[in-house]
Amino acid sequence: MPLTRPPTAPGDAGPLLRLDGLTKRYPGVTALDHLTVEVPRGRIGLVGANGAGKTTIFRLLLGLAHPTEGDVEVCGIDVARDPIAVRTRLGYMPEHDCLPLDQTAADVVSTFGELSGLPARVARQRASDILDLVGLDEARFRPIGGFSTGMRQRTKLAQAIVADPDLVLLDEPTAGLDPLGREEMLGLVARLGTFGISVLMATHLLDDVQQVCDHVVMIDGGRLVVSGTTESLLERTGIVTVDVGPQREELVAGLTAAGMIATAVDGFVEVTVDGDHHLDQLRDVIAGLGLPLYRLSTRIRSLDEVFVRRAGAA
Amino acid sequence: MTAVESGGAGAVYDRGYRPYDGPRGRRAAATFALYQASMRRALGIRRSWRQKVAPFLLLGIVTIPAIVNVGIGYITRGEALLADRVEIITYREYVGVSAALLLFVALVAPDVICPDRRQRILPLMFSRPLTGVDYVLAKVGAIATILFAFSFLPQVVLFVGNMFVSDSALDYFTGHLDVLWQVPVAVLFLAVYYAVIGVAIASLTDRRIVAGAAVIGLFLVTSIASGILVGEDFERNGGSLAALLNVLALPLYLRDLVFLGHVDFQSPLAGVDNGALYAVVTYVVVLLAGIGLLLRRYRWVER
Repeated sequence: MPLTRPPTAPGDAGPLLRLDGLTKRYPGVTALDHLTVEVPRGRIGLVGANGAGKTTIFRLLLGLAHPTEGDVEVCGIDVARDPIAVRTRLGYMPEHDCLPLDQTAADVVSTFGELSGLPARVARQRASDILDLVGLDEARFRPIGGFSTGMRQRTKLAQAIVADPDLVLLDEPTAGLDPLGREEMLGLVARLGTFGISVLMATHLLDDVQQVCDHVVMIDGGRLVVSGTTESLLERTGIVTVDVGPQREELVAGLTAAGMIATAVDGFVEVTVDGDHHLDQLRDVIAGLGLPLYRLSTRIRSLDEVFVRRAGAA
Repeated sequence: MTAVESGGAGAVYDRGYRPYDGPRGRRAAATFALYQASMRRALGIRRSWRQKVAPFLLLGIVTIPAIVNVGIGYITRGEALLADRVEIITYREYVGVSAALLLFVALVAPDVICPDRRQRILPLMFSRPLTGVDYVLAKVGAIATILFAFSFLPQVVLFVGNMFVSDSALDYFTGHLDVLWQVPVAVLFLAVYYAVIGVAIASLTDRRIVAGAAVIGLFLVTSIASGILVGEDFERNGGSLAALLNVLALPLYLRDLVFLGHVDFQSPLAGVDNGALYAVVTYVVVLLAGIGLLLRRYRWVER
């Protein structure tokens, strides 16, 4: 029986994902080990090294694998209880090649729209719109076998969002792309949030996550390392970086004389600050020495550093 | 719609993204969509002309006997004696144009099944509201539907043609009412059987050519083996159960049951006690084995 998605479906107000004590064991290996985390709606980065359990989480979310222990909820729906209902609300873009090469992009995206439950006419119309959206408007009637890697990735993204899912699972969406293609793909992923589509992007490229995600879940060896907003994880280090050109040593000496901690690093001066009075003092020293000030910025610890530090601590 | 860039001659519009809040189907809709997509693929629809040639050429070939039969009926329609009118093929015999069906199964079943596994499309399929049972149902259903159509349409040509070249179309129609249920039932037995076997064998490999060779090989090897075991003098020796080893001919025994009510007296199973019953049981067992294999291959969700 056809269903019309209510404007507010069950679980829309709750977390996007809820994993509770999620464990998945295969013979000889534990892929996930008592993973408990709640994830809000938005653009989520699922970060971990290869073999960390990202793909296993995707399979469990899609109901394509059963957890050994624990529960999984997507948009408030228990995956074990109604995997079909979950799949009607998800889109999935695998990392590997998965497209029929002898068919056109329009046919493939339209067919997958129908397989997601859209009426045929609607699927054809939306396939056209979505391919236009991902930049394949003119190529949509060409066989996918002749597409570049970037065009194939866009087609994979198009089939994932053609049915207007609540959540789209992206597995390494920038894999194999050149820098320009990567930027374009990340731009598309960033736009999904504005369409009301939540994103769970599995990747080991932390720069990608830092660029487009507003929440990060880090896992390592099947265990949760940390989960939080990207902003909160990009920890401020209490260090400011100052660029005064070649007169770095002169600034270091001046700051040391003023009782501050400063070192010259990689063409810049790093100064430890503890409150606004240190910033005022820094400004006064620079002005007193008559040095030019090209740049002054707070140094933020990157997600790479956060991952390495927290995974090591765990 | 927002105009994002405009010039003297026109404007470029960003159509943006439109959410969809209309009706959505679930398993039944997804299964039907896959069934339709598989039919299109098998018939070469929305594919290059090369993919269209084989199926429609085959449809033409299997229709030739009907056209010839009707043509000869038209030429000999003036003969006063019915015995002088030539009928080169009966409806029952026409159901057994299985060699052409075999070729079609070997050609199409691998084309509909193998690329899904070879090009790793299955994970995308099963991320939709679709189960392994639905997948098997859609694929077998698509092949069976085409086999049914390719067997049934020539019969329609034969029936309608015979009706119009007969002395009285109405008399012909009323005199052949049995054919109206016998043909579709017998053709259904064949179509489902060949579809299940073809798809089941094709599911074992992701290479089309290997699958096609395996389908033809199975049919040839079993028919040759059966022929050797049964022997040439089966009519005098009373037939043999070894006839049931002929996987290709098995559904033809059911066809005979539909048309004649018993096994054909000239078949290698004719002299076997309860031969018809054994044929039905073997048919069902082979079908169930094929379906079981398919469900296992596409169980997909791991335990």
